[in-house]
Amino acid sequence: MLNYAIAKLQAWFPAAEVHAHCDGPCGVYDPSSARIAAEAVVSMTKKLADLEMPAAGDKAAAVAYHNTFARYTAIKEEQAQIAKDELLVLWTDYFKPVHLEQFPDLHDTFWKAAKLCSATKVEVSVQHANELMEAVHKIHNMFWATKNRDVSWYTAS
Amino acid sequence: MPVNTSHETFPSPPSQLRKSHPTDVVLWLLRLRRRFRIVGESMQPLLVAGTEVLINPFAYRRSQPLSGDLVVAYHPHQPGLRLIKWVVYVEAQGCFLKGLNAPASTDSREFGLVPWESIVGQVVCRFP
Repeated sequence: MLNYAIAKLQAWFPAAEVHAHCDGPCGVYDPSSARIAAEAVVSMTKKLADLEMPAAGDKAAAVAYHNTFARYTAIKEEQAQIAKDELLVLWTDYFKPVHLEQFPDLHDTFWKAAKLCSATKVEVSVQHANELMEAVHKIHNMFWATKNRDVSWYTAS
Repeated sequence: MPVNTSHETFPSPPSQLRKSHPTDVVLWLLRLRRRFRIVGESMQPLLVAGTEVLINPFAYRRSQPLSGDLVVAYHPHQPGLRLIKWVVYVEAQGCFLKGLNAPASTDSREFGLVPWESIVGQVVCRFP
């Protein structure tokens, strides 16, 4: 009878909330957003490296070339910064000291990944773009290991 | 009730929280207890999201929290955000609070000691 009355009271008068989670509600972190941005960096870097020079004297082709080059570069720049921001959020907000015990190279991994984001902005380097993807893959494995979940790595392209 | 340990001993997190007795319900009706519903994962496995608890807002008027107490406190840097954590240790400036599910918790490891005035009360039981 008492429990029934309590259940009714609970339904009629919802309790105030008290939070047992991180700054962002738990579960909002996911390294996939960094992966998507890093993939875009790889894609744009490859397209830039493969872009054919226009024939000398062909003004229309030169305009098209520079336009395409500028667009690829702008997207590479933007996506590399997005990848960096996403990684920094994971590093500084999601990962905790207890994870450092599990992965002693956690700081080094993130530091190098962030450096690779910068390198892929500055350069047109397929090698560094691929290394960025490898770093994000490593972070993906670390992240899901901390949640004891087996989430397989995949890429969109 | 949570197991209380003194500051000098190794602090142990609370491992159980009793159900409410009719007395607790009466105290709540008399507004001597406050009721909260838990959101988030940081107090698992003891308290899962959706669990309701009663707190005693007067518990620390005459005495300090003890290591092992479950408490509700305001986040030191986010006004109005109430947190539920356990007291690891107590110092002159406030309490060091931590979640039971450490990897999924933002707590004193990041925001430091929680000052006395931010402690809302002691969690005394589940509800019901």
